[in-house]
Amino acid sequence: MTLAQVVLELALVVTTMLVTATLVFVGPRRLVDAVRGYRWRLEACLLPIAALGVVLALRWSTRDVVLRLERRVIGHNITHTLFALEQRLLGETPVVLLQSIQTEALTEFFVFIYIYGYAFLLLFPIVAYFALDEMEELSTLLLAFTANYGIGLLCYILFIAYGPRNFDPLLFEPLLYDAFPQSRTLTNQVNQNTNVFPSLHTSLSMTVFFLAWLTRDRYPLWVPLSGFLAVSVAISTMYLGIHWFLDVVAGTVLALVSVYIGVNYTVDGIVSTGRRYLAKRLDRVGRPGSE
Amino acid sequence: MEDVGSPTTRRRVLSGAATGIAGSLAGCTERLWSRAESPGPEQVSLTIKAVPADDDIVAAKIASRLRENFETAGIDATFEPIAKAELYRDVLLEGDYDVFVARHDGIDEYDALRGLLHSRYATEAGWQNPFQFSDVTADDLLEAQLTTTGGDRDGVLSELFEHLTETVPYTVVAFPSRIGAVGATLSETVSGPPYRPIDYLEILSEPSDEGPWDRPLEVGVFGEALTSRLNPIVVDSNQIPALLALLYDPLVYRTDDGAIPWLAEDVEWGDGSLLEARVTLRDDQRWHDGESLDAEDVAFTHRFLRDTSLGDTESGVPAPQYRGQQSLVESVEAVDSRTAEFSFRTANRETAPRAFQIPVLPAHVWEPRSTVVGERQTEALVHDNEEPVGSGLFELEAVTDDAEVELVPFTDHVLYDAEDGPSIVEEFPQFDGITFAIAPNSGAVVDLLEEEEIDLTGTPLPADETGRVSELSGRSVLTTQTEAFYMVGYNSHHEQLGNPHFRRLLSRLLDREHAAAELFDGFAEPARSLGSLFGVHESELADEETELTTFPGSDGEVDADQARSLFEAENYRYEDGALLE
Repeated sequence: MTLAQVVLELALVVTTMLVTATLVFVGPRRLVDAVRGYRWRLEACLLPIAALGVVLALRWSTRDVVLRLERRVIGHNITHTLFALEQRLLGETPVVLLQSIQTEALTEFFVFIYIYGYAFLLLFPIVAYFALDEMEELSTLLLAFTANYGIGLLCYILFIAYGPRNFDPLLFEPLLYDAFPQSRTLTNQVNQNTNVFPSLHTSLSMTVFFLAWLTRDRYPLWVPLSGFLAVSVAISTMYLGIHWFLDVVAGTVLALVSVYIGVNYTVDGIVSTGRRYLAKRLDRVGRPGSE
Repeated sequence: MEDVGSPTTRRRVLSGAATGIAGSLAGCTERLWSRAESPGPEQVSLTIKAVPADDDIVAAKIASRLRENFETAGIDATFEPIAKAELYRDVLLEGDYDVFVARHDGIDEYDALRGLLHSRYATEAGWQNPFQFSDVTADDLLEAQLTTTGGDRDGVLSELFEHLTETVPYTVVAFPSRIGAVGATLSETVSGPPYRPIDYLEILSEPSDEGPWDRPLEVGVFGEALTSRLNPIVVDSNQIPALLALLYDPLVYRTDDGAIPWLAEDVEWGDGSLLEARVTLRDDQRWHDGESLDAEDVAFTHRFLRDTSLGDTESGVPAPQYRGQQSLVESVEAVDSRTAEFSFRTANRETAPRAFQIPVLPAHVWEPRSTVVGERQTEALVHDNEEPVGSGLFELEAVTDDAEVELVPFTDHVLYDAEDGPSIVEEFPQFDGITFAIAPNSGAVVDLLEEEEIDLTGTPLPADETGRVSELSGRSVLTTQTEAFYMVGYNSHHEQLGNPHFRRLLSRLLDREHAAAELFDGFAEPARSLGSLFGVHESELADEETELTTFPGSDGEVDADQARSLFEAENYRYEDGALLE
């Protein structure tokens, strides 16, 4: 399968899941309303969309620079630290324990969750919150995603870390790429194999779950489903030998921080605070000794 | 008024308490001080560097096994996975490592050991003595093998191998079989996985019933950042096997059946205590950009590899590639446009032709790149060479980043459609060029083979893919024994690794028989004899077994007690199971 085929298949499966979930959770009525009022809705969350776009574009366009910074200038390789720390704290790395219970069915389940479940988990709340009467939830979600990507990028520059499957092929099995080698084509497009700390799969999934909990009065049934999916995604990253347990822990912490940012700040607020701060600074520079 | 007690009493109590505490602490602080002033011997700690499993699963497995065995022997061992280009940078350029595990392309002739081990090259970049090894006896023997011939040289080389078992700058783990796979279209014509340029030339010159094809040969390769640098003289990059060698021709190709004069039409050897050779180039040869190729380019290549700054720095900035071969040559003079005269530093006819296998570089492209851009760095060594101008039978058509590299036949090549060329390219080309399709990993390469997107594979496949390939109808697994080997190298500048006894002991901590069977899945021959332990496969000069391969343990796992008694016999001490410095 070429990349295009892999992407096409992903798009088909995820769209099917999205449509089904939208019909069940959102309902056709709300959906029609949302489509009718798409203009004001988009306008209402234009800033968070732009912020997310900027961060994603930054991630994409600075790939080479980031790689050089990470590997040649900073060069802080923490792979062995993660491995040794887990062994010391827990006696055995959880990845080994998880992989010891592997069955074919379980591997298939986790591969499905890691790729399709994850994509669905990230996209569905965008649709669901878009169908609400206010855009507050959607703005929060988008800002939390932005924070995830932004802080994640910073961590990736600071730390070089390879996942278990890359670190020790005798101890850990590369289950994902054995079961689905082309998935590397897909993940390669979005990530490098040295970027495992923290797990963005975990942090974005947990972000969705935490926000589902905060908005439980809107979509009560989404809470258990997103919870199940988010936890499955977190486990799948370890079961498939991609992430360390500590990556997942760090990912969960990142999710909490991102949700906190998403709930307590708005892009508008951040921008105007920044502007005010700058204005003050410029003012001070403009009138030296005036204080 | 409350009774607060007399102030004198309180003071006395306080001072008494203070003295008491101070007194009781005194012993303790003394101990702390003495520990801080002279911290006793600490545990020996070593970091092992190797590429991650994505890049080379065998290297990662060896490193991981080594880490466990070192730990059992009481060493604080760490494994640091590191991308291929960065590993080469750390090991071959910066000397920033303790122990490394890497795949080496192999030793084509005993003289290759000179580049690898002579102390003269300890400060040079590349595979020139990356171990910082400096040993006067080894230097003498490496020099002596250059100027002796026949039985005398054999004697010198045997002595060298004996000496290396004492000093152990590195050891070989095993010689892997190169594994490849081929689709139905070529399964009749191809017998082994291609890895040298000559292998590709053979495939493209082999007529078949359905050929010639009006499409390129599709070759599947995998790896990270394969297209980012196309510079043939640097080492800190990951490259598609044979790609650059297909673009840059040598004077002479070496094959199993003897030499094939390539850019050279003829080589005449002169007499004398040191060898001389007069090389005549084929007439009317061109670079891919249309400029003419002459003897001055040949002379320039040797000058340039010796010093890429072309005299602008006092000590010179040698190229990290081909230095071993190049240093066989004292000087090259272009006598006229088609004739170059070589003076060698060797008396040996088996060794000297290694210098003819260096790819010839176009002077008009590389001369301007001699600008010094930093400490021991010239533009030539930092340049990515995105548009390589060579003289090979293929020229670069297009590069799609991390996806595809297209080569097309260079129709102006003097051997293209030549009447009197080497027989190997008589029927060239049966395909319209070569396209290297880059996949993210080995599994994806086998997918490409399954979907008939590629004709065969170019990067060596890991052994566990062979099962999948043989299940596909019409596709077959190809294997061949090459000179390549996996090695464990030690940095002699490291405090402990500077001690040859310590290196000898470390070298025993890997079960080579077990590694060949389990880590290579049987697709390798373990290093057993003296010669093979230092990279020379099946050497008749040094075929005896050595104590270095007796493993203190069983089934790949070190026995802690056995290892400990080995180290203790060399006066190392242990404390709580930790090996002390």
